[in-house]
Amino acid sequence: MVDDIKADETLDCRGLSCPMPILKTKKEIGKMAKGQILEIFSTDPGTGNDLPSFAKRGGHEYLGNKEDQGFVRYYIKKG
Amino acid sequence: MAGIFIEKFKEGYDRAFNNQWPLWLGGILIGLLSILTFAWSRPWGVFGGIKVWGDWVFQSLGLYQGRVLSPVTSSSSILSFGLIFGAFGSALLSRQFSLRKSPKLELVKGLVGGSLMGVGASLAAGCNVGGFYIATSALSFSGLAMMIGLIIGAYIGLRYLLWEMEKFPAAPAPAASGGSKEGGIDWSKVQPWFGVAVFIAGIVIAIVYSQWAYTALGGLLLFGMAFGLVIQRARFCFVRAFRDPFMTGEGEAPRAVALSLIISMAGFIIIKYMGFRPEGMYVPPRFWIGGLSGGIIFGMGMVVAGGCGSGTLWRVGEGHLKLWAALLTFSLVGSLWSKFMDVTGLINYIGESLYMPNIMGYLWTFVLIVAVMIAYAWVATWNEETDKFTVF
Repeated sequence: MVDDIKADETLDCRGLSCPMPILKTKKEIGKMAKGQILEIFSTDPGTGNDLPSFAKRGGHEYLGNKEDQGFVRYYIKKG
Repeated sequence: MAGIFIEKFKEGYDRAFNNQWPLWLGGILIGLLSILTFAWSRPWGVFGGIKVWGDWVFQSLGLYQGRVLSPVTSSSSILSFGLIFGAFGSALLSRQFSLRKSPKLELVKGLVGGSLMGVGASLAAGCNVGGFYIATSALSFSGLAMMIGLIIGAYIGLRYLLWEMEKFPAAPAPAASGGSKEGGIDWSKVQPWFGVAVFIAGIVIAIVYSQWAYTALGGLLLFGMAFGLVIQRARFCFVRAFRDPFMTGEGEAPRAVALSLIISMAGFIIIKYMGFRPEGMYVPPRFWIGGLSGGIIFGMGMVVAGGCGSGTLWRVGEGHLKLWAALLTFSLVGSLWSKFMDVTGLINYIGESLYMPNIMGYLWTFVLIVAVMIAYAWVATWNEETDKFTVF
């Protein structure tokens, strides 16, 4: 299911550690329209837990993640 | 029959090492470990060891006169090494170890953040662990002074990060090459075995220390490793306890740290009250200038570096190169600044040793510390709903 997602925007946070991925996500998603999907690349293990929490608090929908070569792709839909 | 056993083992392993442990569980375990470590020999600490390593470098370079503690036989060094080693082993078991490269700006932040932490921890006579968590557990008023400083410092640090994000939208480092199948080896299958080896090595080293009549140290190594494992599995981050209310409005980390500290303090107060350990232990002369100023500077440093004392060592074990840079300056600057304060006599002007029961008795000390922690957790929880303190 995660494989079918078409992201409207992509945010590359590889190499960044806490709290930069979340800070940048919050900023980026603020610029997007409701219903749009943001794809985030991250190498920080913490992102997997931070992002769903952030989504829930911000009224967004956490769609899931997909492992790639050396990083993880996360998907979040602006609510 | 054996099939069921293997099935259950796999399930247990999966639960322990393929899922993040809840923060509240990490907090409880850390609180309990803190009590056990103190009962075993001495309280948990992180900056002490980091400073010993820095001292040892400058001693070897001929910069320091006199003797310095040995990295191999000083308890603080063993505890800090244990944390790194335990987090390393834990990361391997969880297949989360990876040499994570960072963009240049992040590395610079690591170096700067580490330096600030070195200065702050010297002023407060400890980092988030020794200067705040353990100091408060040990009923030192300086711990609460540092707590206030950490809140202020974290706020300033966060303000800086937000400003920086606007000014310098940095380009990320290239992705870690190849991923998990480098050099023809599937590292994700191999890591857990190395993890097992790490913990076996820890036990062996502890036994060796024991043979050389350093049994207490051997135990401290194992306690250090236990802290490293719990902190890595729960991703227990003290920075979050001070930064999150301002950044995301989340109150989970403040609650976990408050709970953990209450548990640790309860154990310490019993140990000290019963006279099992000296009352003056870990009540540093830092109330209040050292504690407060140290807290502010340390707070800024930890947010910029992306890790506090325990957080830096844990992430070093997990392979984050930015935190290796932070550890480097943390230890070197920490050592230098401590030496500076000592040589100039500055150290005599930053506070006194204030043991709370001497002022208000044991009962009220217990009540006051619990009240402060509950108040902190409660305000953070209230902030979750109202976002009154959330900046971003």
